[in-house]
Amino acid sequence: MSIQLGSLVRTDANGAAANPLRAGLDSSRITDPCSIVFFGASGDLTKRMLFPAMYNLRLGDILPSAFGIVGFARSTFSDEQFRQQMRDAVDTFSRTGPAKEPLWSDFAQRVSYVSGDFDDAEAFRRLRARLEQNDRELGTQGNRLYYLSTPPSIFGKIVEQLSDAGLGPKDQAHGWSRLIVEKPFGTDLESARALQAEVTKVFEEKHVYRIDHYLGKEPVQDIMALRFANVIFEPIWNRRYVDCIQITAAETVGVEGRGGYYESSGALRDMIQNHVINLLALVAMEPPISPAADHVRDEKFKVLSALRPITPDLVPKVTARGQYGTGLVEGNPVPGYREEKSVDPGSNTETFAAVKFFIDNWRWADVPFYLRSGKRLARKYSEIAVLFRQLPHRIFGEGGDQIETNTLVMKIQPEEGVSLRFNAKVPGPSMHIRSVTMDFNYGTGFGVVSAPAYERLIGDAMRGDATLFTRWDAVEAAWQAVTPILNRWQAVPAADFPNYLAGSQGPQSADALLVADGREWRRI
Amino acid sequence: MHAEPAAVRVATMNFVVFVDDPGHREWVLERAQRVALKHPCRLVVLDATGMTAGVALGGSRHDVGVVALDAAAILSLAKEHTVGDVPTILWWNGIDLLGSETFARLAEIAQTVVVDSSGLEQSESRIKDLGEFLTGHPAVVLHDLAFMRLGPWMDMIAQFFDDPALREDLFSINSLRIQSGSDAEACYLAGWLGSRLSWQPVDASAFRARDGRTVSLTREIKGDVRRVLSVVLSSDDSTYTAALSDDPNTVCLSVAGAKAKATRCAPLQNVDNVSLIERALLKNAHDRIFETSLETARELLC
Repeated sequence: MSIQLGSLVRTDANGAAANPLRAGLDSSRITDPCSIVFFGASGDLTKRMLFPAMYNLRLGDILPSAFGIVGFARSTFSDEQFRQQMRDAVDTFSRTGPAKEPLWSDFAQRVSYVSGDFDDAEAFRRLRARLEQNDRELGTQGNRLYYLSTPPSIFGKIVEQLSDAGLGPKDQAHGWSRLIVEKPFGTDLESARALQAEVTKVFEEKHVYRIDHYLGKEPVQDIMALRFANVIFEPIWNRRYVDCIQITAAETVGVEGRGGYYESSGALRDMIQNHVINLLALVAMEPPISPAADHVRDEKFKVLSALRPITPDLVPKVTARGQYGTGLVEGNPVPGYREEKSVDPGSNTETFAAVKFFIDNWRWADVPFYLRSGKRLARKYSEIAVLFRQLPHRIFGEGGDQIETNTLVMKIQPEEGVSLRFNAKVPGPSMHIRSVTMDFNYGTGFGVVSAPAYERLIGDAMRGDATLFTRWDAVEAAWQAVTPILNRWQAVPAADFPNYLAGSQGPQSADALLVADGREWRRI
Repeated sequence: MHAEPAAVRVATMNFVVFVDDPGHREWVLERAQRVALKHPCRLVVLDATGMTAGVALGGSRHDVGVVALDAAAILSLAKEHTVGDVPTILWWNGIDLLGSETFARLAEIAQTVVVDSSGLEQSESRIKDLGEFLTGHPAVVLHDLAFMRLGPWMDMIAQFFDDPALREDLFSINSLRIQSGSDAEACYLAGWLGSRLSWQPVDASAFRARDGRTVSLTREIKGDVRRVLSVVLSSDDSTYTAALSDDPNTVCLSVAGAKAKATRCAPLQNVDNVSLIERALLKNAHDRIFETSLETARELLC
């Protein structure tokens, strides 16, 4: 038997002969050695998400054999104190349970900490020394991944300091440097453009990974598979068959102690401008010519740039905003938004936003895309629902049977899967019709547990795969889409806040938005 | 038509399980059932142990007693109880393989055949048989759980040479020593390394590398069945050792000699049998790395 496997001598990203033993092994392993620096390492995100993700990447044997982790923050810790904090974080928040020995000790010896202010040049020189030490002692080969887990107002300063300390991509004789930026990227169109200008002074666009953890969720990735790996959906995925699309990202939580941040953000900035608009792009884009990062991102940008602009006078007609008052969530009384810590008692910040968009292209002309997101709603639930048109001619329906329209639902969280509603005959002598639902759930369908989004996304950035990260042109287009709404809402404060009860379906104005079109929201 | 409660019943495959060893029957059926619970399929159990009488139907599971039936009759029953339009996966748990007419017949209707060479008294002859089977049935997707179980070890060994500074040592390796609890693991690991590095088997204890160098092979049976204890690769000036630590889920990797490096520990991603079977079911494509490893292992043993 003769099986051709190609030449033994291949090359890796750095031009060295590739490891022939890697052929055919699980491609999820990251082979590039590197150091990853977490800015804002003493913050909540690092403890709850990022460090447990790194540990689980190690536990899953996804990390390369040569890696280093450096925490950078203002708080003063020794390496050992920081390691202990991170161990506590892993013990508390890791999906795989408390850290295990001897793996934790092996992992911890690659973890270090640099203390300093973000405008302290000396601290960045210490960081550089640490990274060079990692290169020598841990074999990280000059590859660096910088993760900005800080308030956006500091992003520009950190990038500037990296450059001044000789840690930018242009300063490197060998290896690569990449930058992961947490959302939000800017607070409006103008600030986003200013930030982009600062970042690109040091990092080219191809080195910038703007993280949107929604895109790392398995069901979000499955949208592409559903659309482009099946022949049955694409022919009906257009204005001829689709009546409307509803995208919902509903939360039961309030601001969770982040009232200060949320006051300057609100639902439109916090969810719609990034997570929800990204879902719209995935569900509405044309088929890319390949799954390569830029081919996918090209198509997403085309959709976002085709969003019909919302002029200031249209804002009241195509949007709805809300703020929760007191109510019951999961049976427990909860305070209203204005009673939350660090929130202005007369706050005008929206905790619920709904927007009707149109996409001006051939596929979607006149098909409304209804987007909504809110806090303290009845249920934690995120989905994309494609609602199909009514039957052109009804031949069944004895006894006034309701014939529901077909609906395809992509469930994102907490359930992950796809369901399809269709009509079937009720057994018996009469032709009674009733809608039934066919469900596919990831958990039971494939019997595998999806890795949390942060694990997937950090791993992708280490590999240099930008497919699930947002490119600047899409960020800019998303800001262009929502900025008129932000401006109008800021200029004209809501007179009726709070206007929905915690634990409810949202404000009546959101219902009215669809009722005016002869439609209604799917129940949360 | 409507006697049963309304339900959507889906079969994405026929999962045909053959077992003829009474001592192994419960182990096989329990795992087959667990797989079937997670993956929509028609589970057809062909029980040649004598412990199933006739046919027992239970939803998507059909148990068919086939003791004392000839191969043609068994094939006929298998066809009768499988559904059309979906792929058929045969999990063969027969004591014999190429000597079994039943295996030959059932393999005709299967797109994928799953076996486990590990822990058998005659692992070496099973590997030889599998190599021969694959040559004669190139269209069938073959998976051996014994090989799939070695994935984490292959990854560990590959990790040594992810470091470009150590990579050239791959081409000066002159000895390979494997300790494992059963033969199949050592044969497959040697076959995998040999096929990846273009080593030509000379006999059961040596390869010839492309530059003419001899690579000696030592296989030592030690420890629990189906588990590898250690793999040691020696080059001209360095020794690479991957060995199970006191914690059975951790492997310590060390490099001694001219390119010595500090010992480090890595998690061993042990995969249970049910998960391995699931992977075999879901991967309906040829595993070329396995096939070339099998071919090299077969040449090594012949």
